[in-house]
Parts: sequence; structure tokens; C-alpha cells
Amino acid sequence: MVFVWLPLMVSAQSIVNTKHNLSVSGPGTVKAVSEAEICLFCHTPHNSRPVAPLWNRNDPGATYTLYTSSMLQALPGQPDGTSILCLSCHDGTVALGSVLSRPATIGMTTGTFMPAGVSNLTTNLRNDHPVSFTYDAALATADGQLKPPGGITPPVSLANGNDPHKNIYSDFLVATSQNSNLCNSCHQRTYWTSSTHSSSTRTWNGVAPDPWPYTDPAMTTVAQNACESCHNPHNSGGNLMLLKYQAEESNCNDCHNGNVASKNVTAQFAKTYRHNVTGYTNVHVANEPAAVTTMHVECVDCHNPHAALNQTAVAPNVNGFLTGVKGVNQSGAAVNPAVYSYEICYRCHAGSPGAPAAVTPRVIVQNNVRLEFAPGNPSYHSVAAAGVNTNVPSLIAPWTTSSRLYCTDCHASDGASSPAGPHGSIYPHILKRQYSTADNTTESAAAYALCYGCHNRTSILNNSSFGEHNLHIVGERTPCNTCHDPHGISSTQGNSTNNSNLINFWTTIVTNSSGGIRRFDDQGLYRGRCYLTCHGENHNPLSY
Amino acid sequence: MNKLNVFFTCAFLVAVVQFGSAQTIVGSAHDFSGQSWNTTTEICIVCHTPHNADISVADAPLWNHSLSAVATYTLYASGTMNSVPGQPDGSSKLCLSCHDGTVALENFGGVTSGTNFMSGDALIGTSLSNDHPISIDYDAALALADGGLHNPATTSSGLGGTIAEDMLISGKMQCSSCHDVHNSAVGTSSLLLKSNAASALCLTCHDK
Repeated sequence: MVFVWLPLMVSAQSIVNTKHNLSVSGPGTVKAVSEAEICLFCHTPHNSRPVAPLWNRNDPGATYTLYTSSMLQALPGQPDGTSILCLSCHDGTVALGSVLSRPATIGMTTGTFMPAGVSNLTTNLRNDHPVSFTYDAALATADGQLKPPGGITPPVSLANGNDPHKNIYSDFLVATSQNSNLCNSCHQRTYWTSSTHSSSTRTWNGVAPDPWPYTDPAMTTVAQNACESCHNPHNSGGNLMLLKYQAEESNCNDCHNGNVASKNVTAQFAKTYRHNVTGYTNVHVANEPAAVTTMHVECVDCHNPHAALNQTAVAPNVNGFLTGVKGVNQSGAAVNPAVYSYEICYRCHAGSPGAPAAVTPRVIVQNNVRLEFAPGNPSYHSVAAAGVNTNVPSLIAPWTTSSRLYCTDCHASDGASSPAGPHGSIYPHILKRQYSTADNTTESAAAYALCYGCHNRTSILNNSSFGEHNLHIVGERTPCNTCHDPHGISSTQGNSTNNSNLINFWTTIVTNSSGGIRRFDDQGLYRGRCYLTCHGENHNPLSY
Repeated sequence: MNKLNVFFTCAFLVAVVQFGSAQTIVGSAHDFSGQSWNTTTEICIVCHTPHNADISVADAPLWNHSLSAVATYTLYASGTMNSVPGQPDGSSKLCLSCHDGTVALENFGGVTSGTNFMSGDALIGTSLSNDHPISIDYDAALALADGGLHNPATTSSGLGGTIAEDMLISGKMQCSSCHDVHNSAVGTSSLLLKSNAASALCLTCHDK
């Protein structure tokens, strides 16, 4: 007998050097103690069951918990066909070394069953991409974002006979998952190909948590990780939509916390005044109505991660970051996608349950922001249409009386370098700058920084429009908010005589005149009169 | 990751044990000289005769065992198979004259009244649906179409020649492609043509 050591040069594309070589010679951690044969862990030349593909393992006989989703059009059944063959190891219920052609179970180094971890799907397939469903043209039509299977070009390696035997790509994938090439073989998400998430070359700065814990480490950019930046096709933490994490915002935070994306949005949500995305979990439903009926807020209520673009716009049009999001238009009708930015705000702030009530008690009370901004109103800030008043001498260029505003011109994160949008602020009502409302506030550029951002402080204090501005604001230390209702006054409640110039008094500061009247009368350009009592001063009336 | 795998593969050594002596049928699973149903006590006679052999199977080697009357076996089928197995032919029919379980073991040399039939693991039965397909034309075209098979005309069998030369008969995969009915390769069970350690026999043809 002659013993010869020979280097066995195996092709890179062979089961021999993949983790599916469970024999003692296998390269993986899950392997046999001494069994030398490779094929027999799955196949036998005689007495196979099921007969094809000459299967050598027992059917798990398990009942699986299946994936479900409000968006799912497919009808996954209990795993069948080749999938149940995979599960005869990967559900963790069948001993890895239990094969039909061996009377005794083959000993494995890592224990009897598939070790817990990414390779053990368990019998809970709720968090795994659905399998064993009919994928036909009808499904593609019903779903709307799937390619008709007849139109799918098989991934290149399928054509070359790739299968669970060859680990050409990582994880025995049949095509590369880079840029989600594999996912995109079937899924054609609306907007996706033109979105920034599909093309961004941003990389991770290495600070935990790893936003891409399961993908090939060679894929280092957002574009390369693509779908898997948010979704995990197996053992997903979120179940819903196979998102990585159950808490919706967590799927965004691990890139938008300053570790991948250029701006830190996560930090904004730690501020006192915020859209409280961390306060709700699994309340948002992907196909919920445009007008929100159950109070919540998630990143995806305002952003469509499949569509978002790093692109600016001009008010009132939605910018790239808000592309592909549903909204409620000025008429109160659902629109998809929203065309104007405010339509997205109206999803919640136009009468939805739980929307914040107006904090200032006023003569006219209106909590529906859509009605406050309606173009037919006696006065309003120019969100939904150019403003009524064509004489606003305080406006700082480039603002004019025909300019349009975004809600986010006032409601946004504070700080010049903060990411745009109303994520979170140190100022109440998620205001971008300070807007002091306490009575007897000493006037300063800082106290009313929000208003002075557009309305020139000098012009205001020089009484360019209202002749007594200086007396009220500086002398009497009365905040803007005491007389002005910044959103607007609904035409269903106010009129152009009493409610021009956003006049809608704060009722606990401004009380009735000695004549029992609390009213402003517009008397033409820069002229008017007030019936009221304020800071002890009786106006019965006083004119200017 | 793939690059790493390639690296490890290059460093991967396997001990190949070579034996200098060949086995013979004597003492093998096909040595029936001691079987109670073989009253001749001979070895070869169960399958072969020097005279008056059955020539109904083409190229049958001086066949002496009664052939199976089964005309239609249930064949293996698979949605991923590119080959088209036909009804067993050639030498595989000779194997099935015992292993399909329809002909008594002692029905050779003109005997037709035997009562001992194949049983256990060696019994293939008349359903070949759960057995590796046989009587397949295995050529370069099939290998190309399948994508997971080596080209038999150019791939070494590990036995000295190519797959086609050492393992196929008239270009067909038959029982004898895997099994040497007379000599079990040393260190193997089931009368295998060559050792299946590390699934070497399977991987001779299957490019997996």
C-alpha cells in the first residue's frame, strides 16, 4: 500500500469548497465528524424520497408560520417543491446527519441540528421572503410592482447551471445581490431606479451599528447594498415588509445617524419638539389611507425610501426628498403622489385624530390647518396660494407678496447645518427659530427670530405698515402671536374686515373693550381700528 | 468572500490512499457460491455460461440468468433533468434480471421455478423513479445543455481514461457506470467502480 498526499485542486465553482459540503472535508463550521461523502447529505442513487432530485433526507413534516403582509398579493402556501428540501436542513428540525441511505445518524461537529443563526430559518417563516407561491402574470398585474414572470431574464448564473452546489456569489445566490440585481430580477419598485438610494455612493464610517450586517462586506455603498440597506430577506427583525428592524425608524436611523448619510437626522429626533417617530411601532400601515385615521408618525409617512431624491425644489412643489409620497390636497382629496409639499402635512394636520390642537386660545378657533391656509381665506401665510395682502413692506428680498412658502420655512429643525424638514427642534411646534409667545417678552432680534427671518425687523419697528407696531412690540412687550394667527383665518369663520393681516386675537391677553367688543376693523391700506382691552389699555376703539 | 474561498481551496489537501492490489469476485457480494439457493456451488454460473448463452440482449456477455419479463419500468423524472432516460437497455437489463425482484435468483441455466427473490437494499424493484436514471445517452451535448455535468469525452474518469472510455457503454450511462459487478473497488461498499470518498464517484460526472 502506498500513501500519497496530493493537493486536490478543486474549482472555485464546486460544492467541494462550499459550506454545502457537509462532509469531514467541508470548509464550513457545520460539518461531519468523520463522514467523507459529500453528496449523500442530500442525494442517494437508489431509494430516494422524494424521488427527484434523488433526495436522501426526511421531510420535516412541520407546519410553518408563513409570511403575511397587508401589501402581499401572492398567496404563499406551506413550503413545497424544492423549498421543503432546503428546509430539511434549514428549519432546524431535522438532524443534519439523518439521511435515508445511512442506518445511523451521521455525527456532526456542531451538534445534531442546524445551529441557531442566519442559516436556521426555523419553522417561523414569518420573517422570511415568501416561497411556494404561484408567480404568474396575474400576480404581477395585481401587485403592480412585480415583473411578469415571462418577461424576466434569468440571472446569468442560472443560465450557467448555478444552484445550491456552487457558491459563485455569496450565500449560494443565483445572481449577484450587488445593487440588488437579484431582487430587481422580479421586483420593479416604482421610482426605484431613479432614486438616490439606488445610486448613492455614500459609505459607512465604521461606527456601530453596521447598517449592512448581512450583506457581502465587499458591498460598501448604499447603491451596492440597495434593498438590503433596509430589508433582510431572511430572519428579518421587523417581519413587516421584511424590514431589518421592527421599529420602523430604526431601518432609517442606522444610515441617517451621521454614519452613512451626510446629515444626522436621528439627532433631530432627540430634541424636545419633534415628530415622534420613536413613539409608535407597527401603527403605520403601508397601504393606509392618505388622510391618517390612527395617530402615528413614521419616517415613511413623509418619505418614500424607494423614491427619495437628493434634489431641491421651489415652493410649493415637493422636493426630491418627498418624492412619491401620498398626500391630501387643498380640496381635502387624497393624492398619490403629492405634488405640493403641504399636501403631505395635510395627511395628519388637516383634521386627523390626535393632530395637535391650536395652542393659542383665539377668537376664532381652527385646528384644521388645511382650512387655515385655504386660498379663499381673508388672510393666510402663502402656503397654498399667494397671499391676499399685496402691501407687505417688511418682506426681505427675495421674498415678495407673490412668493410661496413651504410649511418647512417655519417648521423645521433648528440650526443652520441641520437637515431640512420638521424632524425636531429645540423650539416648540418644531419651529426653525425662536418664536417667543410669552406676554411681556422684551423685544429683540432673537425673541422673534422666526418672524424676522422674512419680515425685516427695522421695517416692523419703524411702523412701516401698522403705525403702532413699535409701541406694541417694544413698548408694551407684546409678542407677534398675541394679535396675529400665523397660519390664517378660515373663510368659514372670519371675514376680510375683521381678519385681514392674520388678525385673530389671543383671548386670554386681549379682552373686550369697555363697550363689550373685541374686534379689529380693517379700514384700508395701513389703516384700521381695534375694540379691545390689553395690558389695561381700553381701545373703544382706537384707530390708526 | 469568494476570493477567500479560492484561497482556502488552494491550501486544501486531501489524502489519497492508493492500493496496489485489485479485488476479484471471490468473496464479494456477487459471489453466490455459498448461497443455499445456488445448488451448483459455482460462482460464475449464476450469470454466465460458456455455451448456449441467452443472446436476446445485444452484446450480453454469455448470459445465463433468466431475463426479466418487465417491459415497462417506471422511470426517474425531474423538472431539472436535461437527459431523457429510456427503458433500461443493454447491460442494465442484465442487472435487473435479479435486481428488479421479478425473477427468482436461482432462475439460471434454464431453471424457471425458483422461489428466492431479491430483497433488502439490493432490491431496486420495477419502479426506477427513485433511482439514478440509467440508459441515458451521455455526451458532450448533454453536458453542455445541463451545465452541471462534465464532458464525458474529455474528462478523466480517474481510472485511466475518460468517462466515456471507462464508465459508459456505447455512450450510455448504465448500472455499470457506477458499479463493477465483479470487483468492488477496495475500500468501497456496494461494488462501486471507484471510491466514493469525498463523493469522488458522483463528482466524476457531476460538475457540482
